[in-house]
Amino acid sequence: MIAALGLLLGIVAGLFLEPTVPVWLQPYLPIAVVAALDALFGGLRSLLDGIFDDKVFVVSFVANVLVAALIVFLGDQLGVGAQLSTGVVVVLGIRIFSNAAAIRRHLFRA
Amino acid sequence: MSLLTNLMENSLDAGYAEAAERRRAGEASSGGPWVFAAGMVLIGLLVAVAAAEARNRAPAVDETREALGNEIAERTAVADRLENELTELRAAVDQARADALQLTAAGTQLADQLTALETATGAGAVQGPALTVHLEDAEEAQVDGSVDPRTDDEDAQGRVTDRDLQTVVNELWAAGAEAIAVNEQRLTALSAIRSAGQAVLVDFRPLSPPYDIVAIGDTDRLQTRFVDGFGGTYLDVLETYGIEHDVGTEDAVRLPAASGLPVRRATVPEPAGGAG
Repeated sequence: MIAALGLLLGIVAGLFLEPTVPVWLQPYLPIAVVAALDALFGGLRSLLDGIFDDKVFVVSFVANVLVAALIVFLGDQLGVGAQLSTGVVVVLGIRIFSNAAAIRRHLFRA
Repeated sequence: MSLLTNLMENSLDAGYAEAAERRRAGEASSGGPWVFAAGMVLIGLLVAVAAAEARNRAPAVDETREALGNEIAERTAVADRLENELTELRAAVDQARADALQLTAAGTQLADQLTALETATGAGAVQGPALTVHLEDAEEAQVDGSVDPRTDDEDAQGRVTDRDLQTVVNELWAAGAEAIAVNEQRLTALSAIRSAGQAVLVDFRPLSPPYDIVAIGDTDRLQTRFVDGFGGTYLDVLETYGIEHDVGTEDAVRLPAASGLPVRRATVPEPAGGAG
């Protein structure tokens, strides 16, 4: 319950406060969102598996976002930012897909 | 493939399993609802900000393009205005010079000399009887001409090339032309007739067919010497490629001054008595 309220609060705050994102941070936003989605789906699946843990969830989310951004940043500095972004998106995308598949198996038993 | 398989099979963060293991061992859960809620706030914030950012970025691109377009229009207008101003000022200077030179006998002589020089160099507009040569691409080449002439590299035999125009112009000079213009582009001693792709450039300005070459001079002499000389022969040769030509005369034609005639050399005149 608190979690749902928190999510809502975050979205509302983001939409209404409209914090200006510094230009240097803008390229990492999409990657950060994909990383956040990965953490979200991971958390949901662990919840259905019955092994959910608050701390692991939050830490994995923050770490995912930071590592993804760091990899892309590193790629930008090396001149292979686009390729590394693709790599990050592919890896996180596969994880999201298989987690979503696990959630589907839990929910529909199919 | 082991990498992909590994990804597919261990998609869940190993941390969850470890945490569950610890809990089973009797340790208290480390986090708490507030940590969880804080994480959710962060996620919500991130998604909302990213969404707002993505929505803002699309109009920003349009705005940039529009701003650039406006700037182009603005600068073009400024350039046009400046060009008009330049033309006006030039006319004023010419008028003032003519007025000043009219005052003395020596000045009148200078003015005549100036007019002659301007005619010869192309710096001034000229008027007079002229021989005109009209050149038109062969019809089959014109059909092909629907393609952008600047990019079409296909070899077209029936097309008027820079070489053709060069030959005709040179023959006209040789026949005694005093001033020549191709499609209203006045030629000077430094003019270049070249080509880029299939387009003919005169002083780096692209021309489009058909080509009208106007040569001011003694029309009778011009016509005789041009048509009977190599020029006429050359036009007849072009005819075999299907390039139509039409040579005629006109009683009074006005040719514009050459555009962009740069000053290459200038000296300060010796201060003569009386002149300021």
